[in-house]
Amino acid sequence: MKLSGLPYLLKEGFKNIWNNRMMSLASVVVLMSCLIITGTAALISVNVQTLIAGIGDDNEITVYLRPDYSDVDSIALSGSLSAIPNVESCHFRSRTEVLQSYQETLGDNIYAAMQGDGNPFGNEYKIRLHDLSLYEETVRQINALSGVDKVSDRSDIAEKLTRLDYFVTVTGIWVVLVLGIVTLFIIANTIKMTMYARRFEISIMKSVGATNAFVRIPFMVEAMAIGLFSGLIASLALIALYEPIRQAASGIIGMIQNATLPLQNIWLPTLLALSGSGLLIGLLGGMLSVTRYLNKEGGAILGT
Amino acid sequence: MIHLENVSKVYPNGTQAVKNLTLDIADGEFVFIVGPSGAGKSTFLKLLIREEKADSGSIHVNGHNLMTMSRRRVPYLRRTMGIVFQDFRLIDKMTVYDNVAFAMRVTGHSEQTIQKRVPLVLRLVGLGDKSQRKPHELSGGEQQRVSLARAIINKPSLLIADEPTGNIDPERSIEIMRMLFAIHQKGTTVIVVTHEHELVRHFGGRVLSLKNGTVVSDTTLPIRYGAVKNASAQKEAPTS
Repeated sequence: MKLSGLPYLLKEGFKNIWNNRMMSLASVVVLMSCLIITGTAALISVNVQTLIAGIGDDNEITVYLRPDYSDVDSIALSGSLSAIPNVESCHFRSRTEVLQSYQETLGDNIYAAMQGDGNPFGNEYKIRLHDLSLYEETVRQINALSGVDKVSDRSDIAEKLTRLDYFVTVTGIWVVLVLGIVTLFIIANTIKMTMYARRFEISIMKSVGATNAFVRIPFMVEAMAIGLFSGLIASLALIALYEPIRQAASGIIGMIQNATLPLQNIWLPTLLALSGSGLLIGLLGGMLSVTRYLNKEGGAILGT
Repeated sequence: MIHLENVSKVYPNGTQAVKNLTLDIADGEFVFIVGPSGAGKSTFLKLLIREEKADSGSIHVNGHNLMTMSRRRVPYLRRTMGIVFQDFRLIDKMTVYDNVAFAMRVTGHSEQTIQKRVPLVLRLVGLGDKSQRKPHELSGGEQQRVSLARAIINKPSLLIADEPTGNIDPERSIEIMRMLFAIHQKGTTVIVVTHEHELVRHFGGRVLSLKNGTVVSDTTLPIRYGAVKNASAQKEAPTS
């Protein structure tokens, strides 16, 4: 194939999109929707993993003391806690300080009613560990000390997030598979319709000696352009919505703000991944359709 | 140039389209292929352009062995021939110029060559002043002339016309046939499949009659140059 024909073929590919604009638009909308859903699943998964990693790195645990445990005994407990080999540091937090931290949430009236003996909280210790792998054993040792009500940590949250991540990942894989097949079918169908509409041109092309590669190019250009365009729109939509959604989620769960990925970390990978996926789906869908057509009905020149 | 020996073709539905067909067509001949429906005329053409592959026998066209030829080589065989269709096969959204240029574009010619050659060939078929018209603005005869221009634009050594006058009135049919003879007189081998015996008698030439997939008669009538004369296409060199 001579390169001189390439500009003509590229032009024909883009002309196909316009001539077949309703079907092209339908393909773009479906493909774009599929890519947005896939991209959302991927972004949730990545952020949940970041969140889990953040929780793992933060090895601080809270030791809640019984509310009836006296302040003197509570302070004295710091010696026993520090004596546990895996405890790196422990910081005392009085029941008054704990109540104060809830002042805004409780409101002034309730807060005032909880002063003094009405304070339902016990004293607390914030503890940092040397070695996270000894976490279970250390918690057992702390629980054995008198005055300890319970030891709170984030392992339950981490476990829930791990389950969520598993769910998101598995769902994401199915979403990608199912929507991938749907989009492949949509693109292949669009190209098949274009080829059918241009069957005379194809038969003329073949009658004058155009190679299959030459016949294929405009249709491949059309399929890939639809894929790429859908990918670009989908990634731009996700990039535009990412930060507002992240902010909204942070309003509900405070830790999300710091533990999730900021926009500057995700915009480029999102743009590249979704545009690349769109292009790839276009390439595969187009190839599927064009090859099948050329091997079957596209071989006819004189007709029946 | 064209050599078929003991060629047979049976379609998957069991129809024996061509049976032990043996014939030769020399370079520069003008040949009519006639015969009733189902005689094997279309299959014969399909075998020549390798749209169909024969089940047995041997076929050589323009130096290509069609029985051993790979599918990848088929486009190169077809570049040595031009095809005129009964239904013209013009692309309605393209102008006359672009319909003809299309055949050059898809075979990779440069725009410069296309711009030089297309007006020349359009003048040759008497459509120099209608290059910017759309096919639906032309008469049937004019549309067939566009189809003819497209078939010869790449300077083929073999021109195949499949019922070229089937969709046009008798007067225009004579005009098209004159053009085909004019092209032939410049050295191109021309094969015309037709039902119209009147045209065959009017112009003369070699007549291959097919029936049940085989040649039942092969006669050569003297070409009546009086009938061919006055063709507008004769005035200019057609394919060189």
